[in-house]
Amino acid sequence: MSDILIEIKDLKCRIDNQNILQGLNLKINKGEVHAIMGPNGSGKSTLSSVLAGNDNYEITKGSITFLGEDITEMSPEERSWKGMFLAFQYPVEIPGVSNINFLRTALNERNKYFGIDSIPAKDFLKMVSEKSMLVGLDNKLKNRSVNEGFSGGEKKRNEIFQMAMLNPKLAILDETDSGLDIDALKIVANGVNKLKSSKNATVVITHYQRLLDYIVPDFVHVLHEGKIIKTGDKSLALELEKKGYDWLKTDAAI
Amino acid sequence: MIIKDLNQYSLNSEENKEAIANLSKNPFPSRKEEIWKYTPFKKFKKINFHNQENFKIKGLDTFNLPNLDGIVIVFENGRYNSKLSRIVETDEINISLSSDVFPRNNFNTIKKNNYFSSLNSSFLTNSVLVNVSSNTKINKNLNFINIVSSNNCLSNTKFSIVINDNSNINVRQYFLGNTSISNGFINHENNIYLNSSSSLSIDKFQDLNNNFNFCNEFITQKNDSKFIMNTFSCSGIIVRNDIISDVNGENCHTELNGVFSPTKDEHIDNHTTINHLVPNCKSFENYKGVLKENGVGVFNGKVIVHQDAQKIEAFQNNNNILIDQDSIIYSKPELEIYADDVKCSHGSTTGQFDDEALFYLRSRGLSIKKSLQLMTLGFINEVIKKTSNLEYVDFVLKRLLKE
Repeated sequence: MSDILIEIKDLKCRIDNQNILQGLNLKINKGEVHAIMGPNGSGKSTLSSVLAGNDNYEITKGSITFLGEDITEMSPEERSWKGMFLAFQYPVEIPGVSNINFLRTALNERNKYFGIDSIPAKDFLKMVSEKSMLVGLDNKLKNRSVNEGFSGGEKKRNEIFQMAMLNPKLAILDETDSGLDIDALKIVANGVNKLKSSKNATVVITHYQRLLDYIVPDFVHVLHEGKIIKTGDKSLALELEKKGYDWLKTDAAI
Repeated sequence: MIIKDLNQYSLNSEENKEAIANLSKNPFPSRKEEIWKYTPFKKFKKINFHNQENFKIKGLDTFNLPNLDGIVIVFENGRYNSKLSRIVETDEINISLSSDVFPRNNFNTIKKNNYFSSLNSSFLTNSVLVNVSSNTKINKNLNFINIVSSNNCLSNTKFSIVINDNSNINVRQYFLGNTSISNGFINHENNIYLNSSSSLSIDKFQDLNNNFNFCNEFITQKNDSKFIMNTFSCSGIIVRNDIISDVNGENCHTELNGVFSPTKDEHIDNHTTINHLVPNCKSFENYKGVLKENGVGVFNGKVIVHQDAQKIEAFQNNNNILIDQDSIIYSKPELEIYADDVKCSHGSTTGQFDDEALFYLRSRGLSIKKSLQLMTLGFINEVIKKTSNLEYVDFVLKRLLKE
């Protein structure tokens, strides 16, 4: 079995006739942590949406191969069943639906896909209490409606809690650090690190180097105008923090 | 609509005669009238309704009804089915069944001049009168099950209940039509009378499939009484509820809630009128519509605060979700206020589910169908949670969400 988890080749996509990704290449192996950085409007969030299967974006060229299978036409739910997870930059509030009910449904839908029995209530609740400890999610929040009335930090913790419950092969964290104070950032990063293994991989999308102090990347990519224009190790993030993006943009133009 | 075999109906009593006279005065409603504006009468056209004598249902198991511990009264095709019913008379509760007599005592404070109500009185096949004695608390639910089991069968049925002072009871009503049956019509009437300090809650469940169901409901409340009605309308060619409540005693609580979910060209119509005749009462109304696949819904709620009925608090709310582009909702909350010291509000919203929310759920591995079900559940939860029994909630949800 190959170590490649996902391979994106020459990916181009657009929304409302506006081209966003313009020939993006990226290969991620099991066990790796990749950081994607880049200025506003460079296509970072688009990349995460496209990977998760948001059909508002039209893929015009290229391929996404996840675990050896082309997933460009695959529904978001099937991608999830196969091990894709996107932690949203802005988690959506779903009034009237309890967090717990939502997660049990999610797990059972996946079990159904793989022909496995529904998870027994007792095991499920045990799992919930274990995984919520990981990100210090308040007990009350688990029974509340999904993200409704959650603070910014609670929403982000809830995303990582869901990630822990679903145990994905590829987790994409879209600006998970935004809206978090320093303590919460540590807790969330710690949770992500605990979920890391040699069998899964993490993509961290961020504006700031700070998160990368806690979730240490193997690779740092700079995204600009829908393409990766530079790849380096974690020192690249430090360099960006000092110098900004402009020097890279000029390089790319040449 | 055509009604055959009139002589099969019992037409003996004075009341019947009077009702028939009324019926001839009441023309079949026209869609030019405001309250009938949206009801698609053309669906009645060319149906030859008739009167069906035979019972066809062997047992209630096929309906999977939740917990039938208490009294069970079954009407099938408009007639009392004693084999399927279980009536235990006690000092506390008295149940009388009749074919041609219906109680006239103190019910007639409300003017009934609607065609279907007259039709009901004219061709009434069976009625039941429940009388709950004073100072009684009935713990087990009273179940009233009204089934149409024969094609084109017209059932005119009546359920009357009197709750005497300081008593309370919960009633579950089921209006059911088998999927294999079509064009049956249950034209039902509820007559409800709450005496002082009594309390009644009715959970009404309507699942008619390819049949019709009209319910005319007349409620009178005396002082310090509490009335709650939750109406869950799942399916039917036309389902229409006309609730008229006279609050005729101070310190009353009146609550009307509902969820309706028409699909596939079904039409579900809710009309409510709450008459606040005296001061110091509260009423609450909350209806949720979930519509898809050419489903049509109507909510027309009216709260009338009469002159000198001061210190009334009345709240009326209707929210609707159109799951696709092809469904329609007509929503009209109305307030008429003739007193000057009241607190009343009404509101209506109609919208669609958020695409972003749908994507969020799908990205966690929920299919489109499951995601919509979950969002629908979230949307109707506010009303569903009014019924505390889990088994009943499960039963209702399965049908409302069309699982």
